[in-house]
This record gives sequence, C-alpha cells and structure tokens, in this order.
Amino acid sequence: MTESERGCNMPIIRDISLNLNIRDVLRRQGLGEVVKVRPEIKVLIQELLTDIKNSCMLEPVAAYEYYTVRSMNDSQILLKGNKVIHGPLLPATFPEAKELVVALCTIGPGLEEQVTDYTNRNEPLRAVLLDGIGSAAVDKMVIDVLKYLARESSSRGYEISSPVNPGMHGFPLTEQWNLLKLVNSDEIGVKLTSSGLMVPRKSVSMIAGIGPEMKRWTQAEICARCKLSKTCHYKVTEQG
Amino acid sequence: MNKDLVSMIADLNEQEALKIVKDRLNAGEDPLRIMEDARKGLEIVGERFASNEYFIPDLVYSGEIMKLITELVKPKLTREEETRKSGKIVFGTVKGDIHDIGKNIVAFMLDVNGFEVIDLGVDVPEQKFVEKIKESGASIVGLSGFLTLAFDSMKQTIKAIEDAGLRDRVKVMIGGGQISEEIRKYTGADAYGRDAMAGVTLAKKWTGIN
Repeated sequence: MTESERGCNMPIIRDISLNLNIRDVLRRQGLGEVVKVRPEIKVLIQELLTDIKNSCMLEPVAAYEYYTVRSMNDSQILLKGNKVIHGPLLPATFPEAKELVVALCTIGPGLEEQVTDYTNRNEPLRAVLLDGIGSAAVDKMVIDVLKYLARESSSRGYEISSPVNPGMHGFPLTEQWNLLKLVNSDEIGVKLTSSGLMVPRKSVSMIAGIGPEMKRWTQAEICARCKLSKTCHYKVTEQG
Repeated sequence: MNKDLVSMIADLNEQEALKIVKDRLNAGEDPLRIMEDARKGLEIVGERFASNEYFIPDLVYSGEIMKLITELVKPKLTREEETRKSGKIVFGTVKGDIHDIGKNIVAFMLDVNGFEVIDLGVDVPEQKFVEKIKESGASIVGLSGFLTLAFDSMKQTIKAIEDAGLRDRVKVMIGGGQISEEIRKYTGADAYGRDAMAGVTLAKKWTGIN
C-alpha cells in the first residue's frame, strides 16, 4: 500500500493488494484449523482465488479522514468543525484520544455480483465459498488499512487504537449516516440503504482513536466480548 | 434400502453416488426408492452437520449432489411424482435487511429436501409475505435476518400475518446470525433455526415428515 491520494480533499487509498491465503478463507466458511477440509472444497476455493486474481472482481478502496477531538462526555464525542459522533461506546473506549480517524473500506460490487450470478446459475457451493472469500478479503483489508493508518499516525508521534464499528453495543447503527458524511463515501462508491446497511455489502466502516498512548485489544478479547462468542462459526481464535 | 447410495451421499462421494444412481436406473429400479435412499443419505449429512463433523460448504455440497441425482431420476418419474412436494414455504429476508447468503443456503437445503420454496428475496415488506401466503396457500413461513435491525421487522411481519387473519394457517420460523429463543419470543415466531439443517428439521416436523 503506497501513499493515499486526496479525493475532494479527503484521502483515498486505492493501491491495496490483498493477498488472501486459504486459511483466512476457510475460517470464513466456519472451518477452523482443526477441521479436516474436504479436498474438493479446497480445490474449489483455490480455483475461485485464481479467478479473482485474473479478474477485476476485487476492487479494494478505502476512504478516511482524521478529526481533532474538541470534547467528549458519556454519550458523545464533539469533533472540530462542530461534528458530533453519538454513542457511549466511543468516549468509554477512547477517553485519551486526541483525534479520531474515520475509515470506510470496500472491496467493491464485483464479487457480490459474481456471487449472485452463481446463485442464479444454481451453483450454491461456489456462491457460498466466494461470499466467504469476500468476507475474508474485507477482514484482510481492514487489517492492512489499520496498519497504514498506524504508520501515518506514528509519523506524527501518535498511536492508533483498535477500531470500533457502528452496530456494536453503545455505537448505534444509525450513526452510519453520520460516519459516511465524515469520509468521502461517494468517491469510493459506498452508499447506505434506507435501514443503514452499506452497499456494496462487503464494506466496513470504523473509527479508531489517535493519541500519544492508545489501547489496542486482541482478536480473542473482541471475540470474548461478543454475545455470539459461544456459537459463532467464524471466530478467529480457538478460544474466542 | 441400498446401503451404498446412502453411504456414498453421506460421505459426499459425488462420483460414486451418481454412478450408483445411473446403474440402479439402468437396472429398472423404482426411481422413488432411489430418491428415498438419497434422502436418507442427506439425513446422515444433516446429522454430521449437527455434530460438527460437517460444515456449511459440506452441507451445500451434499445439496448439489442431491440436485444432480434428482436431475438423473426426474425423467423416470411420472408427472405426479415429479411435481409432488413435501410442502410450500414462503421465504425471505425481512424488510430493512439485505443479507442473502444465509437465506439462500436454507432455501436451497429446503428445496433439495423436497419442499417448494417461494423465495421472495431480500428487504421484503410485510405485505409481500402476506400476499404470497394467500396466493400460494403455503403452510410455512421462513423469515431471515442477519442484523439486530431485523428483529423488529420480523415482529412486524408476523403481526401483519396475524392482522390478515392468516396466523392460524401458517407456522413461522425465523433464522439468522443473532437469532435466539429470546428473539423468537420477542417476534412471536413459532420456532427459530440455528442453522440450515435446523430449518429443514422444523419444516419436516411441521409437515409431518419423519
């Protein structure tokens, strides 16, 4: 990932190379390391990964922006420019933040269109596996974008926290409209449905705190906090 | 019962399973018996899925094998046998939610298990469900939703079915990533399915199969 460009004065990252490995993809199918995966399934995943490489199915792009924190109380954070982010999760999670970075990542509509195509052609196994590859791609992209933002922050003497996402407890999904106004969502082709879901569906919006010393949490801690931790098919960690 | 076909399907051995079906058809065997064995194999797949021996891709793979077998057997069935279904199910992702991969898996597994699935797609308004229940005479409704925002839509959809005077005519199942017994009670559904096979098991129970 190289330097970002600025679209309508907000930075955009286009040069994102997603090197997906089969392990990440298998996890997104609910298949952990301990599971014996059928060779037919592995072959099909490998075939789909090759198709992706030889096509424009994945078009990863991210938009982001930094905002200086002016003040915060228990239920919201006020940013410079009179912008407000609501929800108790953020002030509780980033009390030490000097800035917030709002980021929006998407792999574009191509993969989803192909999934629909497979479904319509009555090839559900390919559809399911490709959908899982798309989820794995977004996961990978989020990690890469956070690393990029960490490097940028580090060059200014700051650290970046782990991110939070709308829909988490204490950060209502209704804030999605707010978030998309804080980054250049039009430029990267992400829109919201009337109920606040992102289209393309394989997109992630997130906010992280920026400051001299920021907390980070592991995937195991994230999984442990989730109410689906007992039943989740997709958890990253064995104990998650 | 031919053990071989049952075990080949249960073991997801596509090539062998198809070969056995062709051989049995060529030998003039009753196609309904072949289909019965194939369904028994599929049941074992369901049991292995429930015990975490198999996973979603395996389940879908078994469905694809079943589809291929049905295609082979279909020309040998009478018109009546070919169109005979276990029951009609109106199915869709509720208003406000656009997730479809889970819904598609359940719909596919219901289909290969002999149900007629009327798939209304995603972001389906309450009235659309009501209209389709009236039109089709379906006895089962499946409401899918991945996010918490779907819970209210599910509740409203069931209320609309009730308001239309259809609630006593249909059984309603709900499903999706975060669905629990608590959510079932909140929405007023009859049952919830944790996964695709749970949905199939519910549908079979409600239609008196097994």
